[in-house]
Amino acid sequence: MHRLLVSLLIFPALLAAAPTLPGDHAQRMERGLKSFQDDVAALLKKNCLRCHGGEKVKSDFDMATREDLLRGGSHGTVVVPFDAKNSVLVEQINHTKEPHMPDEQPKLSAEAIAKITAWINDGAPYAEPLLAGKKPKRDAAVVTSEDRQWWSFQLLKKVNSKSIDELLLKNAKGMTFNPPADQATLVRRIYLDLTGLPPPEGSDTSDLAALTDKLLASPQYGERWARHWLDVARFAESTGFEQDYDRPFAFHYRDFVIKALNMDMPYDQFVKWQLAGDEYEPQNPLALAATGFLGAGVFPSQITANEVERTRYDAMDDMLSTTSGAMLGLTVGCARCHDHKFDPLPIRDYYQMLSTFTTTTRSNVDVWPDRVTPAVTVMAKDKSTPLQAGATRMMICGEGYAPIVMHTQGGPFFEKTYLLKRGSTDMKDGEVQQGFLQVLSKPGNEKRWLWQPPEGAKYSGRRRSMSNWITDVDQGAGALLARVIVNRLWQHHFGTGIVATPNDFGKTGTPPTQPELLDWLAGKLIANGWQLKPLHRLILSSQAYRQSTRRSAAKEAADPGNALFMRRVPQRLEAEAIRDSMLAVSGTLDETMFGPGTRNENSRRRSIYFTIKRSLLMGSMVAFDLPEPLVSQGSRPTTTVAPQALILMNSPQARTWAEGLAKRIASAGDVKQQILRAYNLCFHRAPNANELAEGAAFLQQGGTPADYCQVLLSLNEMVYVN
Amino acid sequence: MNTNTPLTRRNLLQRTGGGFGMLAAAAMLERDGFAAAALNPFAPKQPMHIGKAKSVIWIFTNGGPSQVDTWDYKPELKKRDGKVLDGFDPKTGFFPGSVGPLMASPFAWKQHGQSGTWASEIFPKTAMHVDKMCFIHSCWTGSNNHSPALFMMNTGATRMGYPCVGSWVNYGLGSESDSLPSFVVMSDPQNRGLPKGSAANWGAGFLPSIYQGTWLKPKGAPIENLAVPASLTPKRQRAQLDLLAQLNRNALAESPIESELNARIESFELAYRMQTAAPEAFDVKNEPEHIQKLYGLNEKHCGHFAAQCLTARRMVERGVRFIQIYSGGMENQQSWDGHNDIAGNHRGFALESDQPVAALIADLEQRGLLDQTLIIWGGEFGRLPIAQKSAKPGRDHNPHAFTVWMCGGGVKGGYHHGESDEIGFKAAVDKVSVHDLHATILAAAGLDHERLTFKFQGLDQRLTGVENPKVVTKVFA
Repeated sequence: MHRLLVSLLIFPALLAAAPTLPGDHAQRMERGLKSFQDDVAALLKKNCLRCHGGEKVKSDFDMATREDLLRGGSHGTVVVPFDAKNSVLVEQINHTKEPHMPDEQPKLSAEAIAKITAWINDGAPYAEPLLAGKKPKRDAAVVTSEDRQWWSFQLLKKVNSKSIDELLLKNAKGMTFNPPADQATLVRRIYLDLTGLPPPEGSDTSDLAALTDKLLASPQYGERWARHWLDVARFAESTGFEQDYDRPFAFHYRDFVIKALNMDMPYDQFVKWQLAGDEYEPQNPLALAATGFLGAGVFPSQITANEVERTRYDAMDDMLSTTSGAMLGLTVGCARCHDHKFDPLPIRDYYQMLSTFTTTTRSNVDVWPDRVTPAVTVMAKDKSTPLQAGATRMMICGEGYAPIVMHTQGGPFFEKTYLLKRGSTDMKDGEVQQGFLQVLSKPGNEKRWLWQPPEGAKYSGRRRSMSNWITDVDQGAGALLARVIVNRLWQHHFGTGIVATPNDFGKTGTPPTQPELLDWLAGKLIANGWQLKPLHRLILSSQAYRQSTRRSAAKEAADPGNALFMRRVPQRLEAEAIRDSMLAVSGTLDETMFGPGTRNENSRRRSIYFTIKRSLLMGSMVAFDLPEPLVSQGSRPTTTVAPQALILMNSPQARTWAEGLAKRIASAGDVKQQILRAYNLCFHRAPNANELAEGAAFLQQGGTPADYCQVLLSLNEMVYVN
Repeated sequence: MNTNTPLTRRNLLQRTGGGFGMLAAAAMLERDGFAAAALNPFAPKQPMHIGKAKSVIWIFTNGGPSQVDTWDYKPELKKRDGKVLDGFDPKTGFFPGSVGPLMASPFAWKQHGQSGTWASEIFPKTAMHVDKMCFIHSCWTGSNNHSPALFMMNTGATRMGYPCVGSWVNYGLGSESDSLPSFVVMSDPQNRGLPKGSAANWGAGFLPSIYQGTWLKPKGAPIENLAVPASLTPKRQRAQLDLLAQLNRNALAESPIESELNARIESFELAYRMQTAAPEAFDVKNEPEHIQKLYGLNEKHCGHFAAQCLTARRMVERGVRFIQIYSGGMENQQSWDGHNDIAGNHRGFALESDQPVAALIADLEQRGLLDQTLIIWGGEFGRLPIAQKSAKPGRDHNPHAFTVWMCGGGVKGGYHHGESDEIGFKAAVDKVSVHDLHATILAAAGLDHERLTFKFQGLDQRLTGVENPKVVTKVFA
């Protein structure tokens, strides 16, 4: 009996449900315990347990232990001890409240109902769990030191090593790297990898290290690698939803990413500016443009009165989920409705993080050579500020500027952020103050990251505070931040990340295949002042990177997923690189950088300058797996479908590219010379005898040079990188 | 666009990420002991359930038709015509400032068939089939706004970006066609716009994009890049493809991704076949005259919808898995969204679709295809039993009750499931949520909504969410 009473007192949830214990509770509990042993346990096991603790835990309601019974489920409290009248369970088994229980079974007998009711009135005691050995669920709202043991939540391990290759070989189970690929293959690989364009004719490619440096310094590097980040940032230039209005000034964010990568902006600064550029440098247009990261998500343009608040929480969730997915590889969105089921992310942590964005909105500003002024943008009626000569309008996402006004029956934001039970605005559970994820914060002095804006500033400082925490390597989330970005670099250089789930470093993700290498690279990044280019250099100079794709049955058998990186697997180019390559070899590529994009398929600019309108994505991009820009996307699928072939066979663009290439090779000389030149342009190699013969025969039998060039552009070799 | 193209095992595993598709594919691999044929994500898969439907045709009555003016007969509403609805929350609909009194249906009603099903006068031809149709009168949804409600009805979530029912079915069942997309969407060809949210309504969300719906352009060539360009001839293109295959094959032998490259070689041949197969499938003018007449193909008032229904039947015959046809364009008078003049609005859209829909049922039945084709008719929400004040009164949005009917695919004919309250305002008996409805549609197609999952963001995602929806088993015969 005493054991039961003790367990009563140490469970605060229970005390909350039954604030006052009846005076005779001890006697009643004793009676209830007997009833449990005689009848009730059997009744519950027979009629309830299968769905609530046995095979399933429907509605998150588990009856196997008393603690979980009293905790209730996703719909709230189910049993109030000593108070059957206020216990939902009693109503449900009496069929006075839906859903009737037991679900889809006959109603319990009157006698059984009476026994359960009496047992609840006697405090609903358990002599033992309904399932032998079952332990109550732990309190997921508290992050324990055990939770912090998960590999990605730990500080970076100090790894002593001289090179990538040394670390990989250490784990290679006796295997060695494939021999290096031949020089021509490597040149083409490095070009496509770093710039998304094939090697041009006549460039000096004898020294691969020098080539790497040259390409990293070229503007095309930023255009190539920005596109990878734009997937992660779910970047688009329209609102989505019903009207999918254009965001004509959103392209500045795309340009920011290109510029930041080209100037090798330290990654921690890259992150800080995207979260809070306006709080760091309110007069610097590049810092302001960076905040387009937060504002790139979807937002409805038509919001009814009873949707205003939910829509605002959706918008903040989009900012938080994208931030955590892109930067930390965590799926915090799950904690919007309940404590995360797998990762130590309590719902309270979610809402405390969410409150960072309480007053953050999309706005347009006008950038002048010497100043930045706010612009008013109203969707419903055109009452927007006219754009004056000399100014450039830019969409940003910050605080204190006039929010862009959609067709809404409410305001742009609410002054306070509340914890919402089950994510519902109808179930507010107190206002929250800004806080960060417990599991990624060294306990004690959580205020260390908070930044107070100067007197009179129009921003709250909350986003800058978050950026302090997220980049703090020793006490905040910085170690994870570094791991996630070096993994993205690795992924794009090798086809697969060290962590194969680049946006999920939590328990549902895939653990790193090379944990030491990951931490070593992350450490290098930080030691290099967070600059990415030295890391690219390091990777591209490794033996691991320079291996051939030669097939080895033994390696495939020993390591089917290539987790050990002892061989190289050819990669298909992404949509943008495929199209850009064709433009390049056809000699028609327009290298103009930056500025407003276009939706014209006939444009000759690089594909990153296609305007991304959510409802009208470019067909040529979607066919080759451009993801929908709705949530952060860490990796693209590679599909092989007929519409891709149709584009290359029948689209006017494909014909134009083929004709362009035909024109370029026409001056090379005879048919053989022309074929040689075409192969050099497309594949950076000479054709073999067979290829020469086939090509010559095709041209002799009535195929035009353009027909022939179209075939080359369609070859597997054109879109796969060896 | 979704077409039957083989893929490599590696890709397939990446894509299906641990869900049912992977298990099915893995089982096939084991069974067959060899790769190429089993590696196709569109390979027809074994159904999980005893659902009969091999194909689904969803006539999406866009804008939200009024249940009390179509299929949910409410004599009480006539009695209380003009009376104020006490306790009505003006924020229920979209226009809180235009709340009018209860309003009887402007249409005459009568009973049809053995089942004695009541139908309003605007569907004279479809009503002849009521004994094959199964009505769910107790549907309800969460949003009173078009695009969230459309997303809900199509994807099970009010937010943008989740996979739609067609994508899930496609993912779960694969395709039976090797030369046509397996999931197609037809929208209004009368220049009245797209449903709100447009492509997000038939997107694949986090499922691989190959499972998204192929939107058939209502004007001009329905599928992009299907015609040989003018600067080529079919003969020269054939020569190109032969050279392409030859050169590709020569380079194949030593590649570690041989099957992936092989798949790409195949995709060009499939594309070549599609160039003839797809236009053939769309060629409704090729149908015999009595069929054209049955659908009303040459009638001014319904010819455009007849062509879409007839195309749907031709696609079903050719193994296309999921076909969605939007009746109506965007909103207001361009769709079933009868805010003003509910009588004129609904009469008009019924006139466009009644004969073609009736013909579709009859035609599928006479070909023995009705049992294996599930037809669904319904919109994103219902309409209020009260008037929306206007020169000619309309009805505002109502998320609390609407009727969806199904026909074929093993559902019980002449059956009415659930009830709305006596004025048709709220679902009252045996309520059916959108997730319940989705679970039921999947069940009809032989899929178990609890097992049809896809791993995304660390979770086994499914169409029907986490709230344990139920299959409405009573609708099945």
